[in-house]
Amino acid sequence: MIRVLIVCSWGMSTSLLVESMLVAAVARKCELSVEALSAGEYAAKVDECDVVLIAPQIRHLRKSIEKLAASAGKPVALIEPFHYATMNGQAVLEQVLYLLSSTQEGEAAT
Amino acid sequence: MSSMIERSSDWFERYLVPPLGALAGSVYLQAVRDAFIIFTLPLILAGSVFLIIANPPIPALAELVTQYRSAILVPFQLSFGLMALFLAFGVAYSLAQYRRTEPVQPGVLAMVLFLVASMPVSDLTNLRLGDVLPYLGGQGLLVAILIGIMTTEVMRWFRGSRFTIRLPKTVPPNVTRAFEALVPTFLLLTAVWALEWFISSHTFIMDGKPAQMTLPILLMRAFQPLVVVQDSYPAALLEIVLMMMLWSVGIHGMNVVTAIALPFWLSTLATNAAGGHGIVTEPFFHIFAHLGGSGATWPLVIYMLRSRSAQLRTVGKVALGPAIFNINEPVTFGVPMALNPLMMIPFVLVPVTIVTINYFVFFIGLVHVPVVLQPFTVPLGISGFVATGGDIRGSLLQFFDLAVSALIYYPFFKAWERILVTREEAAAQQLEESGKKTLVQVR
Repeated sequence: MIRVLIVCSWGMSTSLLVESMLVAAVARKCELSVEALSAGEYAAKVDECDVVLIAPQIRHLRKSIEKLAASAGKPVALIEPFHYATMNGQAVLEQVLYLLSSTQEGEAAT
Repeated sequence: MSSMIERSSDWFERYLVPPLGALAGSVYLQAVRDAFIIFTLPLILAGSVFLIIANPPIPALAELVTQYRSAILVPFQLSFGLMALFLAFGVAYSLAQYRRTEPVQPGVLAMVLFLVASMPVSDLTNLRLGDVLPYLGGQGLLVAILIGIMTTEVMRWFRGSRFTIRLPKTVPPNVTRAFEALVPTFLLLTAVWALEWFISSHTFIMDGKPAQMTLPILLMRAFQPLVVVQDSYPAALLEIVLMMMLWSVGIHGMNVVTAIALPFWLSTLATNAAGGHGIVTEPFFHIFAHLGGSGATWPLVIYMLRSRSAQLRTVGKVALGPAIFNINEPVTFGVPMALNPLMMIPFVLVPVTIVTINYFVFFIGLVHVPVVLQPFTVPLGISGFVATGGDIRGSLLQFFDLAVSALIYYPFFKAWERILVTREEAAAQQLEESGKKTLVQVR
């Protein structure tokens, strides 16, 4: 099970992306849980996830989000704005899988 | 033209994003905003329903409910009317989440401290609830925010300091937590009570009679000029420009401006609910300016559905559903509007024009001023009717604004479409040529 947190503003528009990612996950037969939350809720929950994604409209909070993710040892990335705009769950899922595989490689190398 | 657009968006990214982002990233602003959205909004919305029932828009119904009016208003007064109390909890709680400390204790303490700060230090058994009620709602928001922030910060400081009561490691963690909180709780309670006692020893003249001063009354008097200034055309203009400047660089503008201005908007709205004529309120922006999402982008979605550009058609299809509920991230990041120097012009200009028209319309009383708060996701047409407490001219105003938006966006949309179509054709041609090349190579 891959647990993804998407840090966003009010979770209204991100919930559409979440739906689309879950559909894409079913098609790829991978177990996925995605939660969209505000930056405050994220701070309280960062330990209970595998990957952190940042919605483009709050990228001004990127630095503090990345710092927290780094201290918890979680991979983190900004969602490509155009993928966010077109609610392209498949592309964002690819991004999640890529993030996970690259961190695992990093761990194996060290 | 295309490369000029790219160059200037680099410039925006470098010089405009950092200062705006720093403003938007303040932990205190984020905590206040979260508190409003998560803790007070459901209560305010549910409470507003009773306000509408008590003041139905149809005269015949209004006559019918007159004798039950005060009874119907009770749930309104104890939800909407107590929003500052819940906000005190919410701010302390949300800030504690950002600070990664236990949130419930500061939340509950902030509520208690807020109550202490709002009551005159006197024989409480003789206190009339009606005298303090306004300061537990719209008029107490500033006090609630300050107390919420202070509570969490003080408790956090104590938790790490040597002034905490320490217990042996064998004591269960829940017991330890209660004792850890004891010192800051006692100190804060004493401090706020002492301050309130001092303030209560002063009187002011209300309705020709002397009355005891309290912290919220004092702060409201100090900030009254600011509340008045906020409810003006220049302030409305400043707020909408700031919102759209932030969105223009791809930052959630409403999110930022709301955190600063919402106490004022709600305070003015509470005055309207009591029969006042304030204009610059939350619905003034969310319901009457951001038609189809920030920037009033509804007409763009319609244009996109029939566009000659494949990119815009794709975005249009995705954007249609969310637009009905005033969500427009697909438009903002898909057209894109953000960091697009061409589309940024109408993206700011359209809301500014609409705000100007609406301010004038509300000012001369052509449409009833907003009295009811609703989620920003209520569709266009319905929301204008509800916000004004049942004035059909509220919906008409929204449709008029929509037409204005459609008119201003059109030439900019066409220009952007031309650029995209040229790009798409160039890309297709390149693909075709490279395809031919490979064919030749294969032969």
